[in-house]
Amino acid sequence: MNKIAKLFITFISAVTLALASITSSFAKVEDGMIVLGSAISLTGKYSSNGVHTQNGYNMAVDRINKMGGVKVGGKSYKFEIIYYDDESNPKRAAQLAERLIKQDGVHYMLGPYSSGLTKAIAPVTEKYKIPMVEANGASRSLFTKGYKYLFAVLSPANQYLEVAIDLAVEKNGGKPVKIAQAFEQDAFSQDVRLGILDAAKRTGSKIIIDDKLPKELNDMAATLAKVKATKPDVLVVSGHTKGALTAIRQISEMKVDVPMLAMTHCDAAKLSKQHGKKSEYALCASQWHKNLSYKDKFFGSGKKYDKDFKKEFGYAPPYQSAESSAALLVFKDAFERADSFDRDKVRDALKATEMQTFYGNIKFGPGGQNVAKPMILFQVRCKGDTCENKVVAPTKWASDKFFHPIPKWSERG
Amino acid sequence: MKQKDLILYSGLIILGLAAPYLFSAFKVQLTYLCVLIVLAMTWNLQGGEMGYNSFGNILFYGLGMYLTASVQVGMFFPLAEWTESGGEKTFVHTTAQYFQGIGVGLLVAAIIPALVAGAIGYAILGLRGHYFAICTLGLGIAAGEIAGGIEIIGAGQGFTTPPFPAEIVDPEARGKFFYFTSFIVLVLAFIFVKYIYGSRFRLILNAIRDNEDKAEAMGIQTMKYKIVGWMVSAFFCGLAGGIMGGLIGYIDSTDVAFDGREMGVFMVLMAILGGKGTLWGPIIGATLFHFFKEGLWTFILGWQYVALGVLIVVIVIYFPEGLMGWLREKYPERFGEVIDEKDRKSQVELK
Repeated sequence: MNKIAKLFITFISAVTLALASITSSFAKVEDGMIVLGSAISLTGKYSSNGVHTQNGYNMAVDRINKMGGVKVGGKSYKFEIIYYDDESNPKRAAQLAERLIKQDGVHYMLGPYSSGLTKAIAPVTEKYKIPMVEANGASRSLFTKGYKYLFAVLSPANQYLEVAIDLAVEKNGGKPVKIAQAFEQDAFSQDVRLGILDAAKRTGSKIIIDDKLPKELNDMAATLAKVKATKPDVLVVSGHTKGALTAIRQISEMKVDVPMLAMTHCDAAKLSKQHGKKSEYALCASQWHKNLSYKDKFFGSGKKYDKDFKKEFGYAPPYQSAESSAALLVFKDAFERADSFDRDKVRDALKATEMQTFYGNIKFGPGGQNVAKPMILFQVRCKGDTCENKVVAPTKWASDKFFHPIPKWSERG
Repeated sequence: MKQKDLILYSGLIILGLAAPYLFSAFKVQLTYLCVLIVLAMTWNLQGGEMGYNSFGNILFYGLGMYLTASVQVGMFFPLAEWTESGGEKTFVHTTAQYFQGIGVGLLVAAIIPALVAGAIGYAILGLRGHYFAICTLGLGIAAGEIAGGIEIIGAGQGFTTPPFPAEIVDPEARGKFFYFTSFIVLVLAFIFVKYIYGSRFRLILNAIRDNEDKAEAMGIQTMKYKIVGWMVSAFFCGLAGGIMGGLIGYIDSTDVAFDGREMGVFMVLMAILGGKGTLWGPIIGATLFHFFKEGLWTFILGWQYVALGVLIVVIVIYFPEGLMGWLREKYPERFGEVIDEKDRKSQVELK
């Protein structure tokens, strides 16, 4: 025992020395660099969207640095981001936020991917008074907690598919509709559900199926069987990328006929590419589309962003990337207006943000959510074998007419 | 207690008390370390001493987490309104309410999981070997899915635990509070486990591990001891979970509370890494594992689970008995085992 004890003491002291030698943290602004921190899902269930987010951040960092960086106090600074992998796990995300702030000395944060992870990180950034601009946490409850240092460039989750229900009612001659819905059990999708519940109440529509989907989502046959039996007017599905892919796969396999299918995350799932014609007529909520006419001097228009992004990363940017890029534009703008690295001054500047980016107008409401930008709906339409997302609502941006109802599988080629 | 032991223990206690001041920036990681050690040490009671590989201890950890948070909120405010639409209605705990709440919450988080362990144990501890392992694996998964459907604790939205009282302006206070709470739990758990190691109870657990039928034939009521053993683990797992819930600030049913894929596997891995069936093994295993994870993982972004897989393979192939077991084999005399050289040689020659 004594020998083991000695061994243990040796081990502990070695560790103590090792720890003490790395405690020195580096500051947030150094050698003309503004260091931002971000926990991103590089592994786990959100890994594909995590990478979209990271690509969006990196694209904007490169662009801003190349175009002269951030000018504060007459000096030009460049952005740099420290990334950690949060493994799509809120527990890990909260721990990493603490680590970024306490050990790496980060004074400004960029958001993670998904509402759940943002919910876990926000209390930490709030505690240390670290301004965080996030682009991927849409859950409404994030904006009702009175957080002072949280700013989201995107529209809240409950707005995602509310418009779809209004559309369904409109197509039904203004009469209430029967809604079938299935949502993943996570903060974001459950908020989308709340939005649908509100819309159903408002229009007097009836919800006839209200299913929950597991987080590791790869089967929803039970829900679809019910849909086949009850024939609702609209089917709503939300479960991040996997939810969108699973829904299309199984709807086409089971030949489920439903007049209207509304979903989220279609472009992140590259639905029109992966499932081609099977995904035709799916109606999708999106924060952004390349055809919108917003502009800024860094990325130009949405179409230009789309082109540049494709060149850099080899795929069309989903809205997750676009909104992430926008987050950095917001930071740059705020730093320059604050003309200081004082956290509270930067925070006040963020609060007063009112700008247009290629992604849309950005202005923060009292809870930190973006109130200046509406959600859009697009529909997957195919010509021959190539399928594309066409904006159908709101009418101001619509490039195509909304196709309704979806033809039966027996009539589809 | 021998003098050398006394030096060791007082040294460790002083280190533990000084740690949050010495490594101020690492408080959260240190808190995690304490919690991990508690989990590994109490898992070792089943997996190591009793020979019952439980993957279900995460059930008590998650239960403790939800219970602490629920009690902390429910004592002062309507719980349903707190969690409804993810905290739409905001209530604020005063400083006194916060600490009273978490105190009572932790107490409940220790007792109820222990009772649950008693009840479940009564039902399933008759299973042996793989059957028990698979059954407990199911428990953790089922609990996560069930919790994800209960509206009053936030269901899929998750449960935001009460924020640390705003009246305490020192931003370090929260970290210190959770560190010292977890350190106290660690010390309590250690004292208790050490006490068990010196008692007849451990011998009975070992007897169950080595040959349960024989133990029964000797007149030991094995069921009783198995249940009590599991209840002890559940008691400390519940406490650990309660602390973690408060520290993380956000409880998600499958990713934070009933996190069998991570915490549930980690506690087994740490105990095996250090050497199951020993007092110090799980402690050393947890410490090493935590340093490995924190130190290395950030350098291999995206590949850390591959590295973890390699680590598991290495442990299983080269250190099947864990570090302590390996040391014991290498330096048996340091563990107080006497080896008769003559006898050993003669055995070799016989072959």
